[in-house]
Amino acid sequence: MSEPILVAQDLKKSFGDFQAVKGVSLEVARGEVFGLLGPNGAGKTTTISMLIGLLEPTGGQIAVDGLDLKTHTNEVKAKMGFVPQEMALYMTLSARQNLMFFGRIYGLKGKELRQRVDEVLEMIGLTERADDVVEKYSGGMKRRVNIGAGLLHKPEILFLDEPTVGVDPQSRNAIFESVEALNRAGMSVIYTTHYMEEAQRLCHRVAIVDEGKLIALDTPTALIRSLGGGVVMLGVAEGAPDDLTERIAQIPAVKSASRSDGQLKIETQRLQEGLMGALEITNQLDVRITSLEILEPNLESVFLNLTGKKLRQ
Amino acid sequence: MNALSVAFKDLLLLLKDRGQILLLFLVPIGFIMAFSAAFSASEALEEQVITVPVVNLDPGGEMSALLLHNLNDDRGLQTQDYDQARVEADLKDETIKLALTIPANFSADVQDGTQTTLRLIYGPAASSSEVQAVQLVVDGVAADLSLETQLVDGLSQMGAMMADAPPDVQVFTAERIKGQAESQFERAKETPLVALSAKWPDQITMNREDFSPSTFSVAGFAVMFAFLTAQATATSIFGEKKEGTFRRLLAAPLGKWELLVGKMLPNFFVAILQMVIIFAASMVLLPLIGMDAPTLGHSPLGLILIAILVALCSTSLGILLAALCRTESQVGGVSSVVLWVAGMVGGAFIPAFVLGDFLNTIGKAVPHYWALQAYNDLTIRGLGVADILPELGILAGFVAVFFVIGLLRFKFD
Repeated sequence: MSEPILVAQDLKKSFGDFQAVKGVSLEVARGEVFGLLGPNGAGKTTTISMLIGLLEPTGGQIAVDGLDLKTHTNEVKAKMGFVPQEMALYMTLSARQNLMFFGRIYGLKGKELRQRVDEVLEMIGLTERADDVVEKYSGGMKRRVNIGAGLLHKPEILFLDEPTVGVDPQSRNAIFESVEALNRAGMSVIYTTHYMEEAQRLCHRVAIVDEGKLIALDTPTALIRSLGGGVVMLGVAEGAPDDLTERIAQIPAVKSASRSDGQLKIETQRLQEGLMGALEITNQLDVRITSLEILEPNLESVFLNLTGKKLRQ
Repeated sequence: MNALSVAFKDLLLLLKDRGQILLLFLVPIGFIMAFSAAFSASEALEEQVITVPVVNLDPGGEMSALLLHNLNDDRGLQTQDYDQARVEADLKDETIKLALTIPANFSADVQDGTQTTLRLIYGPAASSSEVQAVQLVVDGVAADLSLETQLVDGLSQMGAMMADAPPDVQVFTAERIKGQAESQFERAKETPLVALSAKWPDQITMNREDFSPSTFSVAGFAVMFAFLTAQATATSIFGEKKEGTFRRLLAAPLGKWELLVGKMLPNFFVAILQMVIIFAASMVLLPLIGMDAPTLGHSPLGLILIAILVALCSTSLGILLAALCRTESQVGGVSSVVLWVAGMVGGAFIPAFVLGDFLNTIGKAVPHYWALQAYNDLTIRGLGVADILPELGILAGFVAVFFVIGLLRFKFD
């Protein structure tokens, strides 16, 4: 991995007795699209809030481009762009007025500011409607202005917090293309989402967060490969013999098998072969099957495999 | 610099909000017109002249003539010579409501220092307030008359005693002393040491300038509506938090102080502008509809200082409301109650002295009261900046308390 643009070490955040983030450490490389994947309430937004300086961590350290966030707050913030999940815009102002304002806040002024606003308007495809008030825009157009406002000062690292929530498929694709284009131009991106297909498409590496902890961190391919050929979840009726799990685990196409609460979890090397073998054994032992679920190898099933929960729960 | 950008953006948002502009600038002027008109009407009622039929049984007397002259001297009474024979019958059939009788030897008795009695008779048509008003005026005039006569007589006697002294020490002759005493008494009546007014209590009328009732309502509503901008500040902060722009701004290289100052500046600017517009519009519009323009006193610096402190107080109150309330709707509810009630007990609607002792005492706990006291000192009592320093100090205290508590309790995240 190239030199990191962002380093977070042992980040912790508590709200009273509730510990929202329990020691998260991560490094984001320059030019990397880094995904933060997890269900709602996993601690993603709290982690992002600490990384961009909105929340002070209860413990741990954050450095961007070698500068400590706590001691060089404004310098670090000037290197970061933030696109919040909400449409954080002034609806009664025009897109141009919004961009001019956010540009000024990031220290741009005069000709440079006007020029940069024009560039961003072109980038988000709103040059012709730049002077219309934002409240008259469609949802997708508002979303584009929302992203544009985070790009004005050419940040070195861009934080996108669930940018596709409530977005139509067409606008979602436009957002993906924007992120890819920005990354090609050398910008590092931290992308939080609970849609595994987005992380799979956009991110070079993905950190999976659950209950305030980082439970896996790797490239999407490596994480998926860790699942092998896929996972079979088999519901078995009461009275199944004790050695059922052991016999299924001995099938050559099966990586491992475990059983809890009437649910048999079979991780396979080769899905079809493993499934056929498992069904044959249950048939031989006269075990009644109550449910069958096949998890194709993807980030969703990685998450389910790691936590026993679905991403969108 | 960033604070100015935030302030500029908020002013731009305000300019686009016509409803808010209407509320900030036009509604107060409407209130002022309505309240000034109501005040003028009550003033007109209070200034109705009561006609008092007088049976003068001492027609050629010097003192009875002086008494009648004084009764008619801008005291709200107008005497009317009446025939003694008709009085009782006219009172009974309610042709007249009351009558005053000056006894036959009135002048002689007063001049001799003998006690004499004026008789005020009233019939069933007279209301108790009319009887009381006439009685008060007659009492006052009679007391002045007897005091003047007794003093002048006393001093004349002292002058007479000087007559036996050698001519070179007779600096004060009886005539000079009497003349001096009479002229002094006249001056004392014009500018009494202790005056009684039927309209306003002494605390207001001391050294009073010529002022119109609109002075109260204009100052009252200017202060009231300047404080209402506090709600706009708190609402704007909650709005930004709800829309997510507050988080976005906090993620920018912008200090928390800059952000707060940026949110406060528009409130300060709007409150000042609002007071200027309210006073200017009242000066122009009230005379157009037949009402007097408000009086401004002689101290522009004093008015400016009051306006600045009121604007600062309202601004810091906005931060305090944003800090203490938990939701936007709470801001609306709490602000409405707090700001309107504070305006009411502080004397913004009705002058504080009219509210009675209890509310007047409570009023001292709100900044509106002190701002209006300072305004009244300048505009009605004709005082200067030095005289309103205590009120300005108290307002500055409110600013400090609101701001410090607001900052300590403010939640940025």
